[in-house]
Amino acid sequence: MSVKVHDDVVKNYRMVPEDFVKHLLSTLGIVVVVVLLASILFNLPEKQPLTIKTYATQNPVAFEQMALRALDGQGQIANYGPPYNNGTASVQSPMQTAVGVIHPINAATDFILKPLTMAASINPSIAPALHAFNSASPAQQTKWENAYTTALNKGVYKNGVVVTQKGNYGPLPALMNDTLALGKSGLMSGALMRNGAVTTRFDNQNYLLFLQGAPLQNAPQTQSLAGANWGIIHPAVNGYPAAWWMTIPTWIYQWPFVANSSAPDATALAIGFVFWLALAFTPWIPGLNKLPRYLGVHRLIWKDFYRNHSGGNPPVVEGGKKHVS
Amino acid sequence: MANWTMASKRMLSEVMSAETWLPSEMPEYAQGFMYMLGSLTASSFVVLVISGVLLAMNGPDTWSYNSAMRFVAATHFWAVQAFFFFMMLHLWRVFFTGAWRGGRGATWLMGAIALIIAIPTAFTGFLINGDLYSQWNAVQAKDGLNALGLGWVNLTNAGQMFGMHVVVLPLVLTAVIGLHITRVRMKSVVPPYPDAKSDSAKGTVK
Repeated sequence: MSVKVHDDVVKNYRMVPEDFVKHLLSTLGIVVVVVLLASILFNLPEKQPLTIKTYATQNPVAFEQMALRALDGQGQIANYGPPYNNGTASVQSPMQTAVGVIHPINAATDFILKPLTMAASINPSIAPALHAFNSASPAQQTKWENAYTTALNKGVYKNGVVVTQKGNYGPLPALMNDTLALGKSGLMSGALMRNGAVTTRFDNQNYLLFLQGAPLQNAPQTQSLAGANWGIIHPAVNGYPAAWWMTIPTWIYQWPFVANSSAPDATALAIGFVFWLALAFTPWIPGLNKLPRYLGVHRLIWKDFYRNHSGGNPPVVEGGKKHVS
Repeated sequence: MANWTMASKRMLSEVMSAETWLPSEMPEYAQGFMYMLGSLTASSFVVLVISGVLLAMNGPDTWSYNSAMRFVAATHFWAVQAFFFFMMLHLWRVFFTGAWRGGRGATWLMGAIALIIAIPTAFTGFLINGDLYSQWNAVQAKDGLNALGLGWVNLTNAGQMFGMHVVVLPLVLTAVIGLHITRVRMKSVVPPYPDAKSDSAKGTVK
């Protein structure tokens, strides 16, 4: 006869009286009190988000560099790949490519040129530079963009605009300063979250993705949230708990072969899923399903039961009936 | 062929009976704090649902300018901390007691599924909060989903995340937790391992 150790359960136990409703109300009461106390004492952790307006105001040169990368196709989203466009920079797997471009973004048009076109309707002085850029050949645009990228490395912010050394940048200095002015005004978010077909603004994708590269990654307040620094399990406000239940996936991200992989996100999540599978199928995994018995922690949990049932003392049946399972 | 109606009737009458849901006696070994952890987790879920309904009724960003809603958001935040805290303690308890024994494998599996659904449920809640943590995690976590071919789940679309957090995931989670608790109630909690030193070892191995 085969003995299924993972199925071995004692059967000679008593049932004892229980007030289950009181039990449930007690646990609910405990949670309500704990939650209310924590809310009164600690309120809510809140860290101001990085807004376009703040970033443009505080980092004008970096803002223009970021805007120029969106325009010339070098930005993270400009060349990301599916599901945003046909770029290649952030493609990690064939599955990602198979999904296709389902949230289309043309960074140059959506992040820079369309907002500027809208701004030009209320500030016509933007129009000539915009027209000059749009009517130039792609080769000419690239030439200007490359030259201005270099120039911006030494750009300085003076009297509300970014100034660089003189050079052949075409309309780019004017365009980038117009973008900066739009960013500083606070109107850029409205220009990015556009859907002319509806009046609701549920989709803030382009707002978040506009700042997702250097602005967010270099912001001092996000450094403790970076993936290489155990990311999501850290709170944005020190002293508060965050999503600490993500410790295992976050730990996997730290493994060198995952961190240095060409597909770190897919690899880490896939390994994390294997961990979950092991947990979910523990009852059927030979060895693992017997492990608790050998760890012996159950002797502490059922200390009273084992003491009452230690050799020579047959279980007392008064007060409850003997259970037959 | 078996009569499906009769089988359903038998099953439902057991599932829906007061005897299943309001037991007036419990096994002697299922006593004390260790046996409150599951109920504490479920209670935290109840508090999450109540505070979440209040937040949803008023709008997901009211916490940012209304102090009463800010307090409700705080209770929602601390309730999710309580939920995972008690869930993890409950998980350790059921692991160390081999709670899958005696035909309780499906109960364990349902609990594990509840855990893996609870994670994105909480995560989407953080995403619609709109603060820096929200902003950062939306743009960071999108790469993982995109890489796995799940790009249709657009973490940077607050409208989609609102629907996921308020309807889709909580409904699934409620159903899974419901099945988990139903099985716990019907199969009762796992009896102890037979111990070599106790008389409970006698003749108890199936």
